[in-house]
Amino acid sequence: MEDLKEYFRIAFRNIKTRRLRSFLTVLGIVIGVFLIVSLLSLSEGLKTTINQQLQAMGGKMIMVMPGGEEDIFTSMMFGGAKLQKEDIEAIKKAKGVDEVLGISYTGTIARYKDESKQIAMCGYEPWKEGLDILSIFQGWSISEGRWPSKGNQLLIGPYVANETFSKKVKAGSEMTIKGKKFEVAGILNSLGSQSDDSMVYMDMKVYQDLTGEKRGTAAYAMVKLEEGADENIVKTEIENSLEETRKRRTGTDVADFSVITSEKMSEITGTILGIIQVVIIGFASIAIVVGGIGITNSMFTSIRERTKEIGIMKAIGAKNSAILSIFLIEAGIIGILGGLGGVLLGSILAKAIDYYGQANPTFYFTTTISPWMIIFALLFSFSIGCLAGFFPARSAAKLKPVEALRKYE
Amino acid sequence: MNIEPIIKLENVWKIYQLGKTELAALRGLSLEINPGDFVAIMGASGSGKSTLLNMIGCLDSPTKGKIYLKGKNIVEMPESQLSQFRGKVLGFVFQEFNLIPNINCLENVMLPMIFQGVPLLKRKEKAEEILKMVGLGKRMIHQPAELSGGERQRVALARAFANDPEVIIADEPTGNLDSTTGKMIMEFLKKFHKKRGKTMIIVTHDPKIANYAEKIVNIKDGQIVKNHSVAEEVLWKT
Repeated sequence: MEDLKEYFRIAFRNIKTRRLRSFLTVLGIVIGVFLIVSLLSLSEGLKTTINQQLQAMGGKMIMVMPGGEEDIFTSMMFGGAKLQKEDIEAIKKAKGVDEVLGISYTGTIARYKDESKQIAMCGYEPWKEGLDILSIFQGWSISEGRWPSKGNQLLIGPYVANETFSKKVKAGSEMTIKGKKFEVAGILNSLGSQSDDSMVYMDMKVYQDLTGEKRGTAAYAMVKLEEGADENIVKTEIENSLEETRKRRTGTDVADFSVITSEKMSEITGTILGIIQVVIIGFASIAIVVGGIGITNSMFTSIRERTKEIGIMKAIGAKNSAILSIFLIEAGIIGILGGLGGVLLGSILAKAIDYYGQANPTFYFTTTISPWMIIFALLFSFSIGCLAGFFPARSAAKLKPVEALRKYE
Repeated sequence: MNIEPIIKLENVWKIYQLGKTELAALRGLSLEINPGDFVAIMGASGSGKSTLLNMIGCLDSPTKGKIYLKGKNIVEMPESQLSQFRGKVLGFVFQEFNLIPNINCLENVMLPMIFQGVPLLKRKEKAEEILKMVGLGKRMIHQPAELSGGERQRVALARAFANDPEVIIADEPTGNLDSTTGKMIMEFLKKFHKKRGKTMIIVTHDPKIANYAEKIVNIKDGQIVKNHSVAEEVLWKT
């Protein structure tokens, strides 16, 4: 035990006195661990974000989106082609359709009590019936205030109410968007997805007045079915109806449509989450290999260049085990230091991305740093540090003193 | 009078493999050194004198033959035991000082005592005492790089004396020093030998340095050509 204390002292001393070398070695490890932590947190976050987006579209309904099924995500995340007025009419005409809800959204600046923040605003049409549909199929409910009844009233997500502005937004207060004054009629309960929770919802007509978008268009549409109608039959009906309209409107640049049933939606969700899982594992393994090689390289050179020192220590009576212990302790400390630095940097990056996502609700992205990720990163850097230190230290310790002394002369 | 030699080499061979050719640095060399002897090993460069010293200092193992240190055959000793033994019985002084560069003089002198398990306070006290003895009382917390060559070699001497070893092994201890500082180092070694009766083994090619010794061993082509006391014959004066 007494010995071990001495070895710790020597190892600390080595790290401290060889400041630049230790710093560079630690830096090498920091970069490796940073790579691992940031890639893991980003891909975990990607998974969470997409999962939230997909789950927000629950209920038994049909979604109609512009664009083919393969680019659903591009059009959902970043917007794209729009459904035209004729398209929405066509959907309404299809058999088995009870109600069509047109939805559009965009980022904008909202002012509340002299504070301006970026938010996402979302328009619905029809406004009143739309709210019914949303409360039944999407589980919308009011936590504070009441359902809006007039065009100049807003419904806001809980995130906007509690986090976006420095002062909490109360029901009944006034909010200004693009120069127009609104009354915040009600605040929604959380919908389980941050992007939905950080929206401000309003009447589509008002939305289109504010944004200058054409009346009757929508980014996508939610379709409520008639009682007892079969999802797949209605889907075909809608598709046929849209096809016809499209034929009549030749010449306009109408892209494909995607008509997706809730059944199909959960299928897609499963596939996509599966792909993301594979991507995460791929990213993580690359990061781990690259980080590991970096750590090994730093540790290896750091010990190799001290072979002569090891020779001297052996000549003055150091046992192989003593040399091995000293270098293992040193490598372990450096590994842990590098791990801590990497976790710190990785967390900062993740937080910065989170923060950016919150400040810009149109950029839906969250990152996830779980405790197991941190523990893994620390254990990883520690054990790779030790392992990478162990082999060169052992081979140096095993040399006859005269050979070690002769090295690098 | 039958003194048990402290170091005894029996028919020691050291053969280096250089590619396909073999080079015998030591060829069946036998030697006895008694406790309290002051021996200079002399020879031209390439004669095998440094190899011999490394064998005596258990820094290297022979290809063939037996080496006894205090009656124990060190060739058969496992490395873990050997290092302990080496640290306790032997003290080394090298031509290029071989101090650990990043720690100060005091710590350099304390290092061999750590490996012998000497407690911290005692270690420090002893190291300070020896450093004062070699005249470096005021330079203890300096790093080796801040010292002159002579001072560095005195730190190395202090380190060699730290565990109060029975044998001091010095490989060209004055090789990197000017003659005045070299002389000073030799005086310290001589003093240590006289006052404490320690065995001294010095490798040198410098006759002036060999003059300090009581016995001279001349090596040529890995064999002893002459083994004599200084009083008997002084070859190098001419």
